[in-house]
Amino acid sequence: MFDRKGQIKIIEAFLAVSLMFAALALMTPFSSTTDFERQETLKKLGTQVLVELDKNGTLGKLIGYGNWTALEQSVEILLPSGAFFNLTVYDEQMQKVNTQDISNTNLTNLQGRETTSVQYLCATRNSDVQLYKIRLQLAWAK
Amino acid sequence: MKAKNMKRKGSSGQVILIAVLAMALILLSTQVYVFEVQMPTIETGSNSLNDHIFAIKLGSRNVAIGSLANISSGGAYTVFTSNLERWASLVGDESQFGKGILNNTVEGSYPYSSGVWLYWENSGFGVSSVFANFTFELSGRGVAANSSYNLNVTTTLLVQDTYQVILGDEKQINVTFNLLNEGKPALAEQITLYYRVFDSWFAPNASNNYVVTDYGNGTYRASFRASIPSPNVEVSVHVVDRREIFVQANATCSQI
Repeated sequence: MFDRKGQIKIIEAFLAVSLMFAALALMTPFSSTTDFERQETLKKLGTQVLVELDKNGTLGKLIGYGNWTALEQSVEILLPSGAFFNLTVYDEQMQKVNTQDISNTNLTNLQGRETTSVQYLCATRNSDVQLYKIRLQLAWAK
Repeated sequence: MKAKNMKRKGSSGQVILIAVLAMALILLSTQVYVFEVQMPTIETGSNSLNDHIFAIKLGSRNVAIGSLANISSGGAYTVFTSNLERWASLVGDESQFGKGILNNTVEGSYPYSSGVWLYWENSGFGVSSVFANFTFELSGRGVAANSSYNLNVTTTLLVQDTYQVILGDEKQINVTFNLLNEGKPALAEQITLYYRVFDSWFAPNASNNYVVTDYGNGTYRASFRASIPSPNVEVSVHVVDRREIFVQANATCSQI
């Protein structure tokens, strides 16, 4: 009689634990989707930052003048705080144009994180039209 | 009493089970709620593609503006088509979303030639314009997109001027002009005005009491005094807008 009671309690406890684990297991896919979304959101934000700078020709102007510090500051201001970025500018022949790092972090900070990147094409508005390819690497700080 | 306690003890496992079930349901419903709240950001994939297409349109526009700046300051008309070809080639090499093909057709029908229209005649009206049609096709990596758009970059200058005889050949000249970008008021970066005496053009300066008033809405008023023997007072207004596009309009003043 006592043995059977004990067995039932064990089964109940086992069921309770399985139920909890099942609930936790079901939660995991939701969490991973959220991580994906966070990366996608960051990508979208990155594109919007570059579009915003390009709308009035500022992006092309800063690159044309080689004003990398101003470009870095502009991107940093427009991106949300808590986002790391590293921007590289290439010309039509895919030669790197920026002579200094355009980033708010060092590369080692980006290496351990889940990064996303945005590729953006930019044309300058001045009479000597220059075309550039921009690669913006992004990562959330947390 | 004893039987009641036994019954309570016996069902305690079921109570725990129900409690656990309730907790699991609360956890799951909370997670589902959080997921639902974040739902709008799930469409970021298609939004990113829209942003990409928008960026290509923006780049095409920048190419058109830069080309017109070049052509209006003396560059060849072919600059426009060659810049568009370079841009299309760069877009074709880009593969973030798949293979993109950007085609363009520059406007060839009157008054455009090779997509360019420069009209700087003696009618109080000046135009510098480029016009092209584009199609962009994107395919690959599970996405397909088609977009057609046209680009018309136009800087227009409208000039109205009058003069008043002060004494003999001395005249007071007032020139009002409007600068427009795509039909909307725009600001000038540089303004130069000339008046004609016989076959020569002169730029008024401080000795002519030359004053330009900027109304801040694309309207400017220039006034000066000059000695012009002819009753036909001709002025030429040269303006470079904020996009570095040059436009010129000549006009004959009417006497008041």
